[in-house]
Amino acid sequence: MTLLVPRAHTVAVLLDDALVTLNRAVGVLRRRNVPVEGLALHPSGTAGLSRLTFVLKADAVTADRVAQQFQKMTGVRSVMVLGGEDITSEAKQ
Amino acid sequence: MAEILTGAEILCRTLVEGGVEVIFGYPGGAIMPFYHALPDHPRLRHVLVRHEQAAAHAADGYARASGRVGVCVATSGPGATNLVTGLAAAHMDSSPVVAITGQVSRAMIGRDAFQETDIIGITLPITKQNYLVQDVTELADVVRDALAVAIEGRPGPVLIDVPKDVQNQKAEWKQSHPPRIPRARARGQSPGSIDDGIRRAARLIAGADRPLLMVGHGVILAQAYAEVRALAEKTGIPVVTTLLGISAFPEGHPLHLGMPGMHGEVHVNRAIQHADVIIGIGLRFDDRVTGNTASFARQARVVHIDLDRAEIGKNVPVDVGIVGDAREITRRLLAAVEPRRCERWLEHIHGFTRPPAASPHGLSPEAILSAICEASEARCTIVSDVGQHQMWVAKLYPYRRPNTHITSGGLGAMGFAVPAAMGVHLARPDDTVWAISGDGGFQMNMAEIATMVQERLSVKMAVFNNGYLGMVRQWQQFFHGKRYSCTPIWSPDYLKLAEAYGIPGYRVTDPSELTDAVGEANAAPGPAVVEFMIEEEANVYPMIPPGGSLSEPIEAEPAPAPAAG
Repeated sequence: MTLLVPRAHTVAVLLDDALVTLNRAVGVLRRRNVPVEGLALHPSGTAGLSRLTFVLKADAVTADRVAQQFQKMTGVRSVMVLGGEDITSEAKQ
Repeated sequence: MAEILTGAEILCRTLVEGGVEVIFGYPGGAIMPFYHALPDHPRLRHVLVRHEQAAAHAADGYARASGRVGVCVATSGPGATNLVTGLAAAHMDSSPVVAITGQVSRAMIGRDAFQETDIIGITLPITKQNYLVQDVTELADVVRDALAVAIEGRPGPVLIDVPKDVQNQKAEWKQSHPPRIPRARARGQSPGSIDDGIRRAARLIAGADRPLLMVGHGVILAQAYAEVRALAEKTGIPVVTTLLGISAFPEGHPLHLGMPGMHGEVHVNRAIQHADVIIGIGLRFDDRVTGNTASFARQARVVHIDLDRAEIGKNVPVDVGIVGDAREITRRLLAAVEPRRCERWLEHIHGFTRPPAASPHGLSPEAILSAICEASEARCTIVSDVGQHQMWVAKLYPYRRPNTHITSGGLGAMGFAVPAAMGVHLARPDDTVWAISGDGGFQMNMAEIATMVQERLSVKMAVFNNGYLGMVRQWQQFFHGKRYSCTPIWSPDYLKLAEAYGIPGYRVTDPSELTDAVGEANAAPGPAVVEFMIEEEANVYPMIPPGGSLSEPIEAEPAPAPAAG
């Protein structure tokens, strides 16, 4: 049968370098119950800002929904979603 | 010369400067410096509640009725945690509330000190923003920022946690200046994309055979009443109003159909299922509105107008999403559409209309609500609680003025009506405010009668008493084989309760007593309680079972079936 295989989307969020902002950001992922791997936080190169990256094992629609939730969060400066279109593949049941 | 003030004084001054006039609160150890400073600021009227949950609901009611920020204050620990239900309700219903909580001194934070809780952590998912103030020099700007964040864009609750030693710390008072804390703005839609959305929406409306307007709370928040009405009248498109959109469009208008969803009238839900274009303004297609989304409005192309970009396409697929203020976008859409009529479609919808359900025996909700409407001469704001009576109030009360129906929609918090009505009264002292509750919800926060008496808040309380947690009992009847587990609920003698608080109390058991009791309660100078003895096992019809399709309403008691999960 044909299955829609969600390609992994890498999401990079530039946010204020504050614990409460990080807590809120991770809370968005937890609360929306989205499958996440490889959560990492790095200095962004700009003072006061950090970059949170993670891999979202979900389709493009879910990735966009997650990005929208981040966009409206106070303390988030930008959100980038990297990754291609969803692919379909033949798979055996 | 520089003026040196304590954090507590700065807190009060910034609230006054921000235009705050009413605070609902409850003192305690960690917020005492604030309460020490408060009497020096007579512009801040403090209402002493009997439980912090009521403070949050009252601030929410005040905010919804006034369109301004509602403020509540509590101490650390239990005071702060008691606010949580009220903040969650404000968050779900996009209400601008600022909560100020005391916190243990900075040196004690993280040491499980007496009355310490991590209220920032607890409220992260139910606030739009929250702040732990680390130094008195930040305090004024944090308060200014919080008052702005709560109300700008899509409103919501904001919490400020102020350690006790910060309230005592001293700093130079600085007049208001632009907020120091930089805010990232939620990225809106580009002007070109909005223009395009409006053009596409206008084209869809022009080509539609069966268009439908769905109007939600966003229309009330944006005060887009005139624009939405003009859009409906110019195009002849029938209008449905969601639970929180009720009163955004006049009931009784020939184009008004009613409320959609779980307890929506059959013709309203059928209209949704048959529509070929739906224009949703300021609603989020909540599951109580859509039923099973897989079978929701399968034939419709959906235009969704919302201030919050994250709502577009969140619950139902959208063909045209327009991000923006409901008033502004509707005004532009109004200019873009050609006049048209939808008479055949309206006739079609009216063909779905069911004869009114037989009234429950004895005292019917309809009769009670008409009596309230007549007594208050419609100069009335209705605050409803959660449950069966909430649905009756939503469906049967003839709202004529905008934003006169206030209820806990998203969270569905029982106990909301009585305290929220206190806030509504302070925001609208010239209106009669009726808090309508069931016997369950009323007992959750009836301690607030004492607040009403002490603070002279004129709230008329209607209690629909059927001796059950009625909505849960109805579900037990329909879906759990009539096993009325833990839903019969005893009530005290509400007449004696009223007497104990020194306020008028009435009990209505027969329709003939309605006019006098409601009239007297309405005319009484202060708070009053009226208990309505309604039919024990009355049901709210029709009903879409949870997760069911809008096309398959239950219109009468279902045949007995084995209990299901």
